[in-house]
Amino acid sequence: MIKRDTFYVQTTKTHQYILITEEVERIVENSGIKDGVVFVITNHTTTGITVNEALECLESDFKNFMEKLAPDDDGYSHARYLASYSAMANNAPCHMRSMVAGNHCVFNVIDGKLSRRFAQEIYLDEFDGPQNRSITVTVMGEA
Amino acid sequence: MRFNNKVFDINTHPYLFEDVCKSKEDLDFAIKITGLYHNGLAAMHEVFARLDCTKIDFSVLSPLDLSSAYGRKLATNEQVKELVEKYPDYFIGFASVDPSEANAADALRYAFKELDLKGVYLFPALQNFCPEGCAPLDDIAKLCIEFDRPMLVDCGCSPYPNLTSKYSHPLQWEEFIFRHPELRICLSRFAWPWNREMYMLMLKFRNVYTDTSIVYFDDPKQMYHQMFTVDMGPKWLDRSFRHQVMFGSGDPGLEQIRQLNAIRNLDMREESKELILSQNALEFMGYKKDMRWVHD
Repeated sequence: MIKRDTFYVQTTKTHQYILITEEVERIVENSGIKDGVVFVITNHTTTGITVNEALECLESDFKNFMEKLAPDDDGYSHARYLASYSAMANNAPCHMRSMVAGNHCVFNVIDGKLSRRFAQEIYLDEFDGPQNRSITVTVMGEA
Repeated sequence: MRFNNKVFDINTHPYLFEDVCKSKEDLDFAIKITGLYHNGLAAMHEVFARLDCTKIDFSVLSPLDLSSAYGRKLATNEQVKELVEKYPDYFIGFASVDPSEANAADALRYAFKELDLKGVYLFPALQNFCPEGCAPLDDIAKLCIEFDRPMLVDCGCSPYPNLTSKYSHPLQWEEFIFRHPELRICLSRFAWPWNREMYMLMLKFRNVYTDTSIVYFDDPKQMYHQMFTVDMGPKWLDRSFRHQVMFGSGDPGLEQIRQLNAIRNLDMREESKELILSQNALEFMGYKKDMRWVHD
């Protein structure tokens, strides 16, 4: 059986890490699936889905790490007018960070619940905010 | 008036706001005109999140009357009034009229007097009129002066598709400006690529303003560096034009956040940045009357 649900997050900063664990857990519990896996997938190319410990200090370190990997100001080829958008593309570092973060995470579903250790929290990583972001949760398994 | 962060965005449009695009037909028309094929509707909470994040106090919203060119409007004056009434902490509303329509002056008087809109917005290349020799513009100017309201004109290169640029040249406005020295007029986008002509107009006419919606290449920081220190002498903006340039993003199309950050990081006097980000807009809109610089 496959159950799929999408939810939205209005981000508020240009670069932000938002916890979405509770929302994913709720979707898993409502899916009726007892044994399987859950995929949490972002529907964007300037966000990420990552799993880590939810500590303010670490969030600050993630941010610094990403900004070192893909600095705001690094002579990106993407910085040009895109006719297909009728708009400027000035968000290359956001795409780079998104690529590093990845677009999804996976957890086991056991006894109808998302199975995780205490330190494992799910983040929506916003790299080009503020925007209204959608995340799709797909639960696969046996009822 | 809420004025916490000292930033006005003089050049924004509600074309894709969910409160304006209420049907698929509205959205399809907005996308056709703007070419913003991938943006989709802007939820109001999304708009406010961006304004709060960028610390923009007020966005000046302008609709666009395309009656004679397309047989309809891209947001109406009434919709802008509703937005301003509904969200007074975020928006200041301008009107738009179509100079090719016989009732343009009446529509503008109504917009100023009854809808209390604070200026008028024109876009000759999209509205398909030639500013030079366009007689109805004189009536529009007289109304602006009578009601002490400014005129914002889309000039130079627009990122929107399906328009020719022959009516976007700033010199098409020179005789008009000469005839209306009391009118505060903004020819947007530094009229790029006719920016040299724009410098001349700003030197000659102190009632002429421009805005910063000029990101066509690179990123905002690099584009502003090119414009303000290479195309222009490196001190021209800070020394000669700092009273006549306003922050205007051109949103939707050119994004607010990175343009604003680039202006905040310009290498010039902090007080010049304050003029560009807020004080010049206050003068332009008539909220501030102490314009001693005009006589310097």
